Amino acid sequence: MGEDTPAASVRLAGATVEVPLDDSPGRDRTRTILGPVDLSLDQRRISVIGANGSGKSTLLRLLNGLVAPTSGTVTVDGLDTVRQGARVRRRVAFAFTDPLSQLVMPTGREDVELSLRRRHRSRGERRRAAQEVLERFGVDHLADQSVYDLSGGERQLMALAVVLATDPALLVLDEPTTLLDRRNTRLLRELLHSLPQSVVVATHDLDLALTAERTLVVDAGRVVFDGAPVEAVACYTALVDES
Amino acid sequence: MTAHGLFTAHVPGTSLLHRMALWAKLAGVLLVGATPWLARSVWPLAFVSVGLAALVALARLPVRLLARSLRGLLPLLLVLLAFQWWSTGLAYAVRVVLGIANAFVAAGILTATTPVTDLLDGAARAARPLRRLVDPEVVALTLGVVVRSVPWVAGSFSDVRESARARGLDRNPRAVVVPTVVHVVAFARSTGEALAARGLVDPGDEGGGATDADR
Repeated sequence: MGEDTPAASVRLAGATVEVPLDDSPGRDRTRTILGPVDLSLDQRRISVIGANGSGKSTLLRLLNGLVAPTSGTVTVDGLDTVRQGARVRRRVAFAFTDPLSQLVMPTGREDVELSLRRRHRSRGERRRAAQEVLERFGVDHLADQSVYDLSGGERQLMALAVVLATDPALLVLDEPTTLLDRRNTRLLRELLHSLPQSVVVATHDLDLALTAERTLVVDAGRVVFDGAPVEAVACYTALVDES
Repeated sequence: MTAHGLFTAHVPGTSLLHRMALWAKLAGVLLVGATPWLARSVWPLAFVSVGLAALVALARLPVRLLARSLRGLLPLLLVLLAFQWWSTGLAYAVRVVLGIANAFVAAGILTATTPVTDLLDGAARAARPLRRLVDPEVVALTLGVVVRSVPWVAGSFSDVRESARARGLDRNPRAVVVPTVVHVVAFARSTGEALAARGLVDPGDEGGGATDADR
């Protein structure tokens, strides 16, 4: 589990995300889709659960600066996600629900090499480093196949290899099991468990959520529960039953 | 999403074309692209078509990839042929269509025989003199994304057409074009988001990412 590596430290202070209302003249009226959120995330395994549209993905996108808070601040290991966005993204990897939108090169090997371009300028070094990454994640046998020819599970594993190639401190995953069958879900869960990185995962898979040390429940843009996974799942189930 | 063809992925091999320098292959693609302007009849273009078929065989590229690539392009070529025939004449229409098909196949041979990372290295090298104006890595990345997007867009068009056919709307251009455009915009958005999330479009050591304008 890489217990020697210190966990990434994330701070959200009054973080709010607002979006303009399209029907407003001049788009000066806004709707709050998240927050204000005040959180300190220091655990190695954190899960986020909530209904569709509750704000889980927006919360996750704040963590590597994909979304900038309208007010408040978000920092990762002391780095501000807005002012020091590039450095934050080097520490925080993000995996999307659909791995096909993550894989931007024709093959996995080329995509891993793309991740390593800024780190290894020499082509030979880059190729060697990419091969090591592919072997570490057990996807080297899939590396030269078109990403279109991989199964959903293979694509998800390849997408993880791609974003983890640069050894980030924190891995953020947005519903990574949604498109996977039970077997691949289990494989992904095992892989996540073995990673040395800190992991924050938003999921509808309550079994995956229960493997975390801490779980957040998000509802209508607010963190309505923050605590032990078992209690969080009970809270979420009650919320769903009420609605 | 289904997408297959010469543009889908590099086809590993050891043929002369696989070993040829990138600049030589690029020069060949440019030359093929220029033949419609240089040729005064359809015969030089037909000769180029035969030459390209020979190169596909020489590089041992699967013929089914070539066929799939051309099948995706066929509807567009037919529309173009009909329009040019109607507006200018048959000989000119055939020259235009053959020229486009040849350029398409030549570019496909280039991408099939060259790893995309080599293309990116070549683009970054070529853009280096302009580094005060634009980051060479961003130029390389843009090229990579274009190469990756061609089969995706073709696959999206094919999927949408199948869906329209299932609903009995395949003769309605709106039922095919509008969803394809929506798919492409969504794809562009998700690709942009994926690149941003990986920090691939971030400049240097500081800044980048969300800006004050996002606030």
